[in-house]
Amino acid sequence: MSQTTDWLDERLGVAKGGRKLVNKIFPDHWSFMLGEIALYSFIVLLFTGVFLTLFFVPSSHEIIYHGSYAPLRGQKVSEAYASTLNISFNVRAGLVMRQMHHWAANVFIAAIVVHMLRIFFTGAFRKPREMNWVVGVLLMILAIVNGFLGYSLPDDLISGTGIRIAFSIVLSVPVVGSYLAFLLFGGNFPGDSIIPRFYTIHVLLVPGIIIGLLAAHLGMMVRQKHTQFPGKGKTNRNVVGIAAWPAYAFQAGGFFFLTAGVLAALGGLVQINPIWLYGQYIPYKVSYAVQPDWYMGWLDGALRLMPSWETVMFGHMIPTVFFPAVLLPGVTFTILAMWPFIERKWTKDDSIHNLLERPRDNPKRTALGAAVLSFYVVLFFASSTDVLANSFNTSLNFVLWSFRILVFVVPPIVWYFTFHLCKETSGVYNAGKRKRALVINLSASGEYSTVETEPYFEKEEEEIVELPEEVAFHSGVTEHKETANELMFATSHSSANMKTSPTDDIGPLRSGGTGIFRIPRNVPGGGATGMGSRKRRPGKSEE
Amino acid sequence: MHRSLKAAGSVLNKPIFTSLAVGATVGAIGLAAFSGGAAASAQPATNPQAPIVYKAPPSNLAAEGNSIFQENCASCHGSQAEGSARGPNLQGLGAATIDFWVSTGRMPLADPTVQAIQKPSRFNRQQTLALDSYVASLAPGGVAIPDVNLPSADLARGAALFSTNCAACHTITGAGDALASNVYAPSLKPVDATQIAEAIRTGPANMPRFGPGTLTNQQVADIVSYVEYLHHPNDAGGIALGHVGPVTEGFIGIFVGLGVLMLAGFWIGGRAK
Repeated sequence: MSQTTDWLDERLGVAKGGRKLVNKIFPDHWSFMLGEIALYSFIVLLFTGVFLTLFFVPSSHEIIYHGSYAPLRGQKVSEAYASTLNISFNVRAGLVMRQMHHWAANVFIAAIVVHMLRIFFTGAFRKPREMNWVVGVLLMILAIVNGFLGYSLPDDLISGTGIRIAFSIVLSVPVVGSYLAFLLFGGNFPGDSIIPRFYTIHVLLVPGIIIGLLAAHLGMMVRQKHTQFPGKGKTNRNVVGIAAWPAYAFQAGGFFFLTAGVLAALGGLVQINPIWLYGQYIPYKVSYAVQPDWYMGWLDGALRLMPSWETVMFGHMIPTVFFPAVLLPGVTFTILAMWPFIERKWTKDDSIHNLLERPRDNPKRTALGAAVLSFYVVLFFASSTDVLANSFNTSLNFVLWSFRILVFVVPPIVWYFTFHLCKETSGVYNAGKRKRALVINLSASGEYSTVETEPYFEKEEEEIVELPEEVAFHSGVTEHKETANELMFATSHSSANMKTSPTDDIGPLRSGGTGIFRIPRNVPGGGATGMGSRKRRPGKSEE
Repeated sequence: MHRSLKAAGSVLNKPIFTSLAVGATVGAIGLAAFSGGAAASAQPATNPQAPIVYKAPPSNLAAEGNSIFQENCASCHGSQAEGSARGPNLQGLGAATIDFWVSTGRMPLADPTVQAIQKPSRFNRQQTLALDSYVASLAPGGVAIPDVNLPSADLARGAALFSTNCAACHTITGAGDALASNVYAPSLKPVDATQIAEAIRTGPANMPRFGPGTLTNQQVADIVSYVEYLHHPNDAGGIALGHVGPVTEGFIGIFVGLGVLMLAGFWIGGRAK
């Protein structure tokens, strides 16, 4: 092992960067793993997607189906549809791969959304991470677009209806709509270039951009280091957590296998998109109960709720679909991407935030976020008006009008309750902490009193010693590398057993691989130190 | 005990290694349980017999039918099925119409202001035929009870005709759906071959009537065979989620897929202290 690394180091100089990477500290909190679900789902998407490209034929060319699915034999189908049937029924493990791919896409975007909610509600997007937030929003848009394109590729009746709607939406853009639609779809609907074009965009263009942006997303995260929740020993100037190797690597590796396992289980056990039951898409045919995949649901819901008003502007009629299907997502994603800047304008806060906010500690943002979220959740549910009406044996019109009212009524109510709930909980002593047991004492005079027991984990807690950088930060001293190294040496040799070597020309070694570490954070403009220092209670190691 | 060992132990106590094993096992179960896409069975050989034979109900049951009608139907439809303010005239509608409404349990009806719902029929087969016979005997006209010769039907042609003529309301999987203002297209799952053909030929309630000029007997038989197929379609790929498309799939994806993974993350990751 060391021979190999030496060999590599002598030629490529991997030790310096490698050590930095191996010593990267990850704050240990479960909510930081939501983005990982998205990342691992994306890896599953890549692997299953490559498998599917081996058998999928991206062509609208019509052939007579002679495959193994009897109810469609002799029908005219496109090669895209026939090859999807072939993947489902004849290719070994083809259907499980197709279903894993589809489930992974659904989970991928769901994980992106909850990851984004975590970032939003804890204020992790604040300075210096605004750029990474914008990259994340772009990633989410691309994921949704690619999901829609992939859903459309089998050329079945349900997805074909979706493309038809998408075509009309593009057409509805004032002035440039018809040019734009013909440019994207290669002519009027349906044409024969939709499937091959969507295929190229789906397997090449968008995944390429996603991988590039993902690299930027993760690169910025490594460069800026993680945010962390406030807590004992956690300051704006350090990162407390587990090291990349081996503790985090095993945790993340295990989580990758869990994600892949859950997706494989869903792909193998639960049917998704049985396109053989839907049949080939033919423009004059339509099925009822047509919904897009869940991540497009809010757009479909908005289309359903929009009354058929005719708006005339500058002497031209703006088609009704323009407002819910073009304007709404445009405004949504613009405001979402610009949010860090909007909030900064509002709070006039120009300081660097590496410590997260508990959502309850910022009631204004939390309430606003919850209200806006509830607006989109109502739109999302509105996309299944017909299925809801049918399941609950009620009138479709009643359900539709209920949603038209709810979409305006629910957000203010959610805002009010969230705001006051945050206000209440932020004032409660020990809110969000683990409950401690109370010992009830009866005094000789018959008086009762309660005493809180010590929390069990605090007995194990290590003593908090300020890192030199933190001390320097607090005293307002401009740090420079020499001071940092001296002070680092002073604190890190407190343990006799620790073989720390700060004189190593690529930085000090850390003695152990596992445990909780605190490392100083590189400050923008201040130069990176990247050195590890393990804190322990003085004298404890001599036991 | 040495502190660093203790610290190492506390991290290794976390279920990260267990999670590796659990992940592998869950994945293996998913893959192993997957049976692969079994091809649908080949279509049966065609039979030279007529695709649909229309049979009048036995006329000797008309007397029995009369007494059942007076007990159960006459209060709304009148004693001679001539209709009243509460129910329409049934004379000349034919045996198939009566057979469909009674055998699917839609008649007798509790509330004439809402769409009749399918429920277990109040009458057995002979009583139903007796009613059919009685009403058909009152006036000529309408369609007799169709008997579909399923072996002569072509499943693939039926699938194409179904997606053109039926899917727009009943959905492409036959699951049914709400239409507008309390009107809905019912699910096609609980109906038998005769009832499907009756519905096509007579057009009950809001459903359009498909006469012989629109669909030939052969085409009706083809559609019936496809609807029968939809009762137990090829559900390769695992648990079918009600055949209502992405609505249920989305819920499973979010709550089972992401939900399980979030719980797993909560299990592996650290919590607030």
